[in-house]
Amino acid sequence: MSDPTASDPNRVWPTGLTEPEAQELHRHLIQGTQIFGVIAAFAHLLAYIYSPWLK
Amino acid sequence: MIYGKMWLHVKPGVGIPVFLGAVAVSSFAVHVALVTNTTWVKRFLNGGNGAKAAMIEQAPVATVPDPGTTVLVAASPQASK
Repeated sequence: MSDPTASDPNRVWPTGLTEPEAQELHRHLIQGTQIFGVIAAFAHLLAYIYSPWLK
Repeated sequence: MIYGKMWLHVKPGVGIPVFLGAVAVSSFAVHVALVTNTTWVKRFLNGGNGAKAAMIEQAPVATVPDPGTTVLVAASPQASK
């Protein structure tokens, strides 16, 4: 039996994702990067205050 | 969202581990370089007097002049009384 999604004209190959799926994935990746960046910036602020770094 | 369509061409099973791996490896390399190229990190992490010494070490200190260099020192008349 063939995969029914393979005949979907909205799917793009080689990944087989639709454009809305790709955009949703990218949105999550950007959001994760932003959260990681905020936590990292806060950690660097604490390191700057409480360690000899850059003193 | 800009560049979102890259996932139509890059398999997420490949692209996401490469992206997260690049972030992990590069940030780890920066911190390893910091530990290996400075003297204060280990002492600071050990705590106690070593941490205070690490703090003091970072303070600017006067440098010793080269031999043969003339150093002029102004003496205050108040100092001899």
